[in-house]
Amino acid sequence: MDARAETLEQLSRLCHDGEWRRGLRQAAPSGFAELDASLPGGGWPLGAVCEFMPATMGIGELSLLTPALSQLARAGRYIAWIAPPYLPYAPGLARQGLPLERILIVQTRGVQESLWAAEQSLRCPAFGAVLSWPADITDQNVRRLQLAAEAGGSLGILYRSPEIAREHSPAALRLRLHPTQAGLSVEIHKCRGGRAGVRLQLPMSHTDAALAVHPSAATCA
Amino acid sequence: MPLWLCIRLPQLAREALAEEPAALERLAGWAYQWSSLVSYASCEPLLWLELGASCRLFDGHTALLARIQAELTQLDYSHVCALAPSPTAAALLTRTQEPRHALTEAELRAQLEPLPLQLLDLPATVLGALRDSGLRRIGEVLELPATAIARRFEPQTLLYLQRLCGKASDPRPAWCLPPTYHARCEFGVEVRTSTALLFPLQRLLLEFQGYLRARDCAVLRFTLEFEHYRHPISRVSIGLSAAGREATQFLALARERLHSLTLPAPVSALRLEALEFTAPTVVQTDLFGSDAQPLQQLQRLLDRLRARLGEDSLQTLELAADYRPERGWRCGSSNLEANPDSPPRPCWLLQQPVRIEAPAQLLRGPERIESGWWDGDDVSRDYYLARTDAGSQIWVFHDRLTRHWYLQGLWA
Repeated sequence: MDARAETLEQLSRLCHDGEWRRGLRQAAPSGFAELDASLPGGGWPLGAVCEFMPATMGIGELSLLTPALSQLARAGRYIAWIAPPYLPYAPGLARQGLPLERILIVQTRGVQESLWAAEQSLRCPAFGAVLSWPADITDQNVRRLQLAAEAGGSLGILYRSPEIAREHSPAALRLRLHPTQAGLSVEIHKCRGGRAGVRLQLPMSHTDAALAVHPSAATCA
Repeated sequence: MPLWLCIRLPQLAREALAEEPAALERLAGWAYQWSSLVSYASCEPLLWLELGASCRLFDGHTALLARIQAELTQLDYSHVCALAPSPTAAALLTRTQEPRHALTEAELRAQLEPLPLQLLDLPATVLGALRDSGLRRIGEVLELPATAIARRFEPQTLLYLQRLCGKASDPRPAWCLPPTYHARCEFGVEVRTSTALLFPLQRLLLEFQGYLRARDCAVLRFTLEFEHYRHPISRVSIGLSAAGREATQFLALARERLHSLTLPAPVSALRLEALEFTAPTVVQTDLFGSDAQPLQQLQRLLDRLRARLGEDSLQTLELAADYRPERGWRCGSSNLEANPDSPPRPCWLLQQPVRIEAPAQLLRGPERIESGWWDGDDVSRDYYLARTDAGSQIWVFHDRLTRHWYLQGLWA
């Protein structure tokens, strides 16, 4: 679908029974004031799909979400992790304040199963957020997930490779993530109902030099 | 006042009941949800339900009859139903051109009188003798004095006529609900696709639902078995996270399982088995909007995911009291409190530590972990937070025993 068609779709969404207002109100604060200020509704959009495109793994792409996830989980909603690329490590997540009993990990045997599981979970209002790492998906897949998220009122997060940033996607929010010395650089690539092109620097807690490298260790390396 | 419903199932006779002797038994279990007195005769085949005691509970006999007939249609059994005060009369009325209903003995008499003699379930010799006497209608036979019939024919004939009018007691063997549920459905031809299995499966599950309603119980687990020629049976066990008894729910789960199942051979018969029953889950909603609904939806979703992706596809996380990072978590539900003073840990852990070159940039560390000497899997490691050239923050350790570097986690 080209950009024009999507604009039309957005317009029809806006006109539809004040849905835009409802959409704006339903947001989960991200926990980063600077980021919340740039997102319509003041946080991650609930009932929508967001695409995170980290330059590489291990730069804070999960820590960016954990404040919002913790809040959703404490409100009694579950967090589904569909086919995560590594083991979600319980001590690390617990330390970031995530209630472990609200986390559900779904292992699948391929993209199709992952998409199916993500769609089913997004549709279920018991889930506050659904995280997925689909390797190779189409516009149509994203649109299906978007509809499922709208039905369930949950936050759908797709981790995708940075190469697809140039391609078009029906996701409501698309972020490019880059590592910096101080933390994480977030670039709003697309934002439905907001401004695209904003670049933010967010501090990541685990990078603060609370414990410096011991000199003897440095020589050992 | 007893009121008997007789259901004639011509299709079961044609399908050759010999091939599927359990079909009537299954239907009896299904019918038990409406009446505590269910009986069947396999020779014709007929199914009787005493409805007099249940009419009020189910809003009168008209509504109840409509409901029973609707379910029979859903089960895809062709059927003829008739109501009468006695089971013998009800059976006779199913044999007429148009099924008739008689609620009282007077109505029954009026219904029976114009019917032809041949409908009586009497031996051919008796019917022949009656016809030779110039009798053509049932009414004429009923008008004969009892003594005359008793004199000319065997005592069974008189008993039959008296039962027909409700003048003699007409006991039927009451069918009892079995304590466990076993149903089997054999196919005339081998079924090769799982889609084609859904139809007989739906029938089995609807009958199962009737049985569960009759017993007022629910199941947490039931088993489906697929029989093949010259192949061992394939077995699928379907579990529910909350006790259920709705055929639609069962069918949705079974469909997901069939979707991912590859059967080794065409299926010749299908079996359904349930051995354990529990009280049904009653969903109570509280006054001010409640959490019951999402919870139930969650349970249904988990069942669906498990059915399609496999029993072990769902995991929850929990902390484990072990210093070795790879043992610091496990699947299950948590009972260990997170300690806010615990050392920082990454969110991603690799399944197995991967050996790497010495990292260029160490940001934090070391944190020494020495543990496990008691179970032979002892470790002695120095952990660091490091940064790769691409900017990833990684969790690495220097193994003090082998002097190699390993990657174990990512600070996402």
